[in-house]
Amino acid sequence: MKTHNHKRKIIAILLIALITVPALWSAGAKEESKQEGPIEVTFWSLFTGGDGEFFDAMVDEFNRTHTDIVAKSDTVKFDNYYTKLTTALSANNAPDVVVVHQSNLLGYVPRGVFLPLDDLLARNNAPLDDFVKAPLDAVKYEGKLYALPLDVHALIMYYNEDLFAKAGVKEVPQTYEELIAAAKAVQDKTGKMGMAVDNTTATYKAYTLTRLFMSMLEQQGTSFLNADNSKANFNNAAGEAALRALVDSVHKYKVTPTGLDYDGAVNGFKLGNAGIHFNGVWATGTFENQPGLNFKTAGLPPLLGKPAAWSGSHTLAIPVQKKSDPAKLDAAIEFMLWMTEHGEMWAKAGHIPTRESVYEKEAFTSMPHRKDYADSASFAFAAPATPAWEEIYSTVSDLLEFAVAKNQNAREALAGMEAKVNSIIASY
Amino acid sequence: MAIPGNHDKRDGIIFSLPFLIVYFMFMVFPLLFGLYISFFNWDILSPGKFVALDNYKRLFTDEMFYSSLWHTIEFVLITTPILLIIGFSMALLVTGDSPLSKISENVFFLPYILSMTVIGTLWAWLMQRDYGLFNQVIRHFGGDSIGWLINPKYAMWSVGLATYWWTAGFNMILFSAGIKQISKEVYESSKIDGAGYFQTLFKITIPLVKPTAVLCLILQIIASFNVFGQVYVMTGGGPHGRTRVLTQYIYEAGFRYFKMGYSAAMAYVLFFIILLISVIQYALLGKERS
Repeated sequence: MKTHNHKRKIIAILLIALITVPALWSAGAKEESKQEGPIEVTFWSLFTGGDGEFFDAMVDEFNRTHTDIVAKSDTVKFDNYYTKLTTALSANNAPDVVVVHQSNLLGYVPRGVFLPLDDLLARNNAPLDDFVKAPLDAVKYEGKLYALPLDVHALIMYYNEDLFAKAGVKEVPQTYEELIAAAKAVQDKTGKMGMAVDNTTATYKAYTLTRLFMSMLEQQGTSFLNADNSKANFNNAAGEAALRALVDSVHKYKVTPTGLDYDGAVNGFKLGNAGIHFNGVWATGTFENQPGLNFKTAGLPPLLGKPAAWSGSHTLAIPVQKKSDPAKLDAAIEFMLWMTEHGEMWAKAGHIPTRESVYEKEAFTSMPHRKDYADSASFAFAAPATPAWEEIYSTVSDLLEFAVAKNQNAREALAGMEAKVNSIIASY
Repeated sequence: MAIPGNHDKRDGIIFSLPFLIVYFMFMVFPLLFGLYISFFNWDILSPGKFVALDNYKRLFTDEMFYSSLWHTIEFVLITTPILLIIGFSMALLVTGDSPLSKISENVFFLPYILSMTVIGTLWAWLMQRDYGLFNQVIRHFGGDSIGWLINPKYAMWSVGLATYWWTAGFNMILFSAGIKQISKEVYESSKIDGAGYFQTLFKITIPLVKPTAVLCLILQIIASFNVFGQVYVMTGGGPHGRTRVLTQYIYEAGFRYFKMGYSAAMAYVLFFIILLISVIQYALLGKERS
């Protein structure tokens, strides 16, 4: 009788285990949706703060105007986004649509985790000729489209109109000399900071230095890496001119203080304490909400030659699934096309639309600032398409920061950066 | 320690099974898997490529590995002694007779329950050079702004400062437990013999909390070696990589650059360093006790 009881206990425990353990598993797995009612399109985005609000508003609008499709979002904290995305992609467990930066997208594509979209787009009569050419070309790999660009976010110039007027600066600076002259005039006549460009890492890395450095290289007709992305290509006259321009603005012309971090630069401009500020288009919204700040925007000036501006791009891509459902894929495409087509809503966050038709819309043209830098899309260039880019970008930012902080000899700095970049590329 | 009369061990095994399953899945397996992938080049998405000891060889020629390791050791040296002293001083205060001891115990421990992200963000704001509270106060009294987080000389100390505030409360709890264990009679008889406060402190309290101090020291060194969050949130490893600690480099190599094998190899080297230091500590301090 006793042993019988004992066995019953064991069976009970095993039964509980049997019931609870699969429940734990299935909590992580996706629900299998039945094909009744609207089709559910799940997606992940990385937008938080101001970007997040505008993006969510777009998704709400999409859901309000579509009865057959429901878009369900999950915002992942930006810091962890690519970790989470990569693990999900490796398990073929990613959502139907994901937001990916163009610079990250092409690192993933060769691993076959994203769906080529050409056939799907053709099946849905997608108006591909409505897309701005440069950002669309930037999401192609070996001739195939792997994403649709949602925006272009270029490096642009912000300037304080009041400080310019007080300092007697009438023309928007175009060349490096004019830029320094304008910044110096502001500094001398108003006592404010001439140029707020972050040059040190605190809570944010001093990426602005790298973005300006890359832009000034392109302005001289040189790229950061060589044509097949196998070697550094900046240890030359163009690189020297670009690095000198950065270092001199701090040490020779002293229009930017040393040890300025991103928060210091953004808040300096926001509070009207700086004449000129370089940042991505995403800062527009923050500055607009600042009462009393009278500022204007312009595409990045062709400081060292022809127009060229570093840019990023948020793209929408479809991960390869364990089993694909054609109806769901069509719904995903419809969602992606709708999001790009309504770029005027996304432009509220400052981003530049990627569809020609958006530029004609009243809702876009009536918006302040956006059209002043919208032409950036035509001379924006994208990050090199190599899986090593993330590490190069981060490492070079540290080295540029060091060069600017220590007023390092340009040739020495470039030689060090070149060796480092080449060794990083070799390690992939 | 079976229940009297019950010689059947099977229920014991079954009762611990749920824990063991989870433990093996989330502790033992990842540990072994980490060792395994440290012999591969693996980016999670593509199949790994076996490279034998290449990751370990590369690591010993990687400048950034050495600088990160040095920054970690620097952080251990900056934080460990001071955190022990602060923790012990706090413990003295909260175990004393002062009417404030109960409330100060809560106040001292409060920061510890906050998350690292909260602490990091808060202190980064306070220490921001141009708009942070600290410098506003300094400027108000006529001083010059200090580059708390952006001056390469101060950055690690500033992170240390935030860490003192955040974690000293934990050492306080350990120390005050140690102090409370000391028998009251020892204090009473010393009082009768006419011992003053400092004599009591140095001749009785400190010698008798030594086992607790040893425990604190070992835990603190391990914790400081694993520093990551504060640095990552407050300085991002800057200025120009000056505060990048080894755990941050491990994280970046693994989850930003997707060099899982290299990342795992570095993690194993860190593991052996901590293991070595702990073994030496046990050996030295254990000998003294016997």
